[in-house]
Amino acid sequence: MPIPVETLVLGRLAFGASAEDRAQFLILGANRWIDEQLMPPDGDDPAMLARLDAVRLRVKYNSSDTYPAMDELRPLSSLTKDIAQLWPLTDGKAPIGGPERQLPRLEVAAATVQRSIHSHWQVREVMVDFWHNHFNVNAAADTAVAVALPAYDRTIRTHALGNFRDFLEAIATSPAMLTYLNNRSSRAGNANENFGRELFELHSLGRDAYLNGLYNRWKDVPGAPKGQPAGYIDQDIYEAARAFTGWTIEDGAGLGGGQTLPATGRFTYVETWHDNYQKRVLATEFDPFQPPLTDGRKVLDLLASHPATARFLCTKLCRRLVADTPPEALVAAATKVWTENRAKPDQIKRVVAFIAKSPAMRDGFGGKVKRPLELVASYARATGINVTVTNGLLNELDGSGQRLFGWAPPTGHPDVMTYWLSSHVLRRRWSLLAGLSENWWATGVFSPTRAFAGPVRAAEAVQLWHEALTGTPPVPETTAAILDGMRLAQDARLNDRPDFEPLTRRMVAYCAMTPSFNLR
Amino acid sequence: MALTRRNLLKWGTAVTAASLPGLRHIAFAGEERSGNHCLVVVFLRGGCDGLSLLAPTDDPNYVADRAPELRVQTSGPKPGRALRQNFAPQIDFRLHPEAAPLGELYDAGHLALVHAAGLQNGTRSHFVAQDLMERGLADSPGFKETGDGWVTRFLLATPSTLPAIATTNAIPAALAFHGDSLAIPDLRGGLALPGGAQPKEVLAALYAGTNDPFSLAARTTLHDMEMIDARLPHGADGKILAYQAEQNAVYEETETGRSLQTVARLLKMDIGLSIACVDVDGWDHHENMGGRFANLAGQFARGLSAFWNDTARYHDRLTVVVMTEFGRRLRTNKSNGTDHGHGGVMMVLGGQINGGVIYGRWPGLASAELDNGVDLSVTTDYRSVLSEVLSARFAGASALPRIFPNFSAGPRLGIVRT
Repeated sequence: MPIPVETLVLGRLAFGASAEDRAQFLILGANRWIDEQLMPPDGDDPAMLARLDAVRLRVKYNSSDTYPAMDELRPLSSLTKDIAQLWPLTDGKAPIGGPERQLPRLEVAAATVQRSIHSHWQVREVMVDFWHNHFNVNAAADTAVAVALPAYDRTIRTHALGNFRDFLEAIATSPAMLTYLNNRSSRAGNANENFGRELFELHSLGRDAYLNGLYNRWKDVPGAPKGQPAGYIDQDIYEAARAFTGWTIEDGAGLGGGQTLPATGRFTYVETWHDNYQKRVLATEFDPFQPPLTDGRKVLDLLASHPATARFLCTKLCRRLVADTPPEALVAAATKVWTENRAKPDQIKRVVAFIAKSPAMRDGFGGKVKRPLELVASYARATGINVTVTNGLLNELDGSGQRLFGWAPPTGHPDVMTYWLSSHVLRRRWSLLAGLSENWWATGVFSPTRAFAGPVRAAEAVQLWHEALTGTPPVPETTAAILDGMRLAQDARLNDRPDFEPLTRRMVAYCAMTPSFNLR
Repeated sequence: MALTRRNLLKWGTAVTAASLPGLRHIAFAGEERSGNHCLVVVFLRGGCDGLSLLAPTDDPNYVADRAPELRVQTSGPKPGRALRQNFAPQIDFRLHPEAAPLGELYDAGHLALVHAAGLQNGTRSHFVAQDLMERGLADSPGFKETGDGWVTRFLLATPSTLPAIATTNAIPAALAFHGDSLAIPDLRGGLALPGGAQPKEVLAALYAGTNDPFSLAARTTLHDMEMIDARLPHGADGKILAYQAEQNAVYEETETGRSLQTVARLLKMDIGLSIACVDVDGWDHHENMGGRFANLAGQFARGLSAFWNDTARYHDRLTVVVMTEFGRRLRTNKSNGTDHGHGGVMMVLGGQINGGVIYGRWPGLASAELDNGVDLSVTTDYRSVLSEVLSARFAGASALPRIFPNFSAGPRLGIVRT
């Protein structure tokens, strides 16, 4: 049984297919569906706003000497706030309960799950998820990152289909990244190399372009004498770290002479912390005493235009959108599109459109395992469960190995199946599906029997729901595995049973544990 | 030949199952095995600062390049833990004060330290260095050819099938392409599937006949999880009873404590556990290193000490190796932290080792002695330490060229008793 094209494409460019998606996709055809998806409105549409308004998160903690106990359900409130409004949460001496300080992370995580399930603009949500992992920050370990996360999410949403050079600068000046990779405290003298190193290795050129094991001097890197080095070494990192000294945030730090920065959390540039002397990055000379921000911007120019960056980013995009091991021809062709459109404001959109409309997008099912967020969202979308995210669901997702905005290393969550097939993660997948079906976390009641037009026999019920989930009927062995385990005869009449509804809920969860629903 | 997850991980790269040697299904059930040696590999992720863990306290370059609050002191309210050593007798090497529990293990002869150890490759990337070390390599071209981990190759080279576990959410790269390893971050809630016996039966049948990657992984998971869960003590309500550590050992609620408690519990099931991979994250101290290192080093030292006490009955057949991807820069940065460096510290803990000794060769901290002029040099390859442990306690010397290709260990360090 071939996999229907809408299952393939909606499994890759969307968080799975709902019944409406399938219908719309078949009416529009793949290319028009893609074109429409690539023209999302700014921000959330009214339907999505209503979905976000419906979310309530429980905030609960015990009292202390300085603040009272708390236990209440609250709507999302920080998503649109300026960082200056949230920055007071970072004051460790203020009488604020710990969960309040992490609440901005929880809210962005809740909105992310809610949008993945309910947003009409699925390609944008897929790309936002990609970029959050590409430009990973860990908000769970640091209040300053947690309060910077709503603004960071808005930055990623603004640039997700835009120009990569602009995107790099938006990230390099974001309070979340400046804090997470410590550039905030980097000063002339001995600069902090953390941001510079990951900017090269993870954000742009990629580790294949890191040639430090081969060359000790910048001149030795192939292409360097002509000003076009094939890759980079530690000397480039040292110099880039110097270029970004003084890129910081208004965190109330002292500036000497009794002066202090304001405490707003916003990006700022502190001239006296910047290393003004000449530099050399990627075989390119930087003159001393440049105007504010010029050195860092020049580094970003060099990185954004480097062929290794095009290659690295397009490999990652194809890996996310198509398969763990994407076809080489696709990566090469996407790299060409990336490079040709380097100066365009919609560079990324053009590359995504190219990948989305390529033959590879409609070919080769099973090259990826859905990550837990994809599993949750695609299950909710395919079943039509009216899910509203809760703390319980977010906790379960955290435990599944995909901790939204809480992944510690700057790599982002792994994007190959080896990680997602570990025994621990697999076991958690079963909990996610059973829990959504049976409403363990008060996310919404599932009424699966409404899908049956009339009296239904057990094998028909499995067939109907397997098709709704995967677009294909079950093979006989699948039906037998589910019904035998449930002690149901193939022709058992389900409607008459007192446990018709809960029994069907469980049955649908089993249908979703099949390989065909977990792979994409 | 049984199909295992090893096959499925190769599936994507089109390597046929028939080309893989020695595939066997993990077998805990009914096979009471004991007496085998168990290796616990602890990876300190992020680059643990060896110059804070085992500090050359009175080395003039160390004193000159690090602010007092970022180095270990010999006096004052929190002096470092002094050690007897002939490694570099002219220098007062001390453990970080928070790591003092390691000093007890050292004095008792259970713990050996190796300074200026690590990866002999110029990389200062976490991810490249970790990948190389977990694959048992020293250079990137080798990495492209060798996808599997050194622990995987070790397990293939050992004469019997023994299970391997990792206390992380997913198996680490050292176990890459090993089909039978289990990721078990925590045993305290048990490993049964929620929902009773029915899901177990349905899912087992669901994956029985298909050989896609998901089915293969799920099959192994269901089987092995059930075997382990059955060996956990259940209360009348079906819940897992709390773990009772021996020798009054106390595991803290930290990554070290949780992980090593899981290992101890599996070890005591006597299911022939041969390798456990443990991660301790959080050593990437670019900023405000003083307090953060002290906190983490304390958690780690207390956790390792608790594990050692708890597993006293197993000491004769237990070896723990502690490693990290690199040490950190000698000179501190302006964020009161240190950037990525080179040489670091390794540790070997066990009942069959010559402990109470610092091994290796001290390269010195003068500018000309530093790697690239900035970092502690590597004078002992990490594979020399691993080779010695493996050849003495496990695979035998003949298997080493397969486990660590293109590597010659050189003369024995003498850490492991023969």
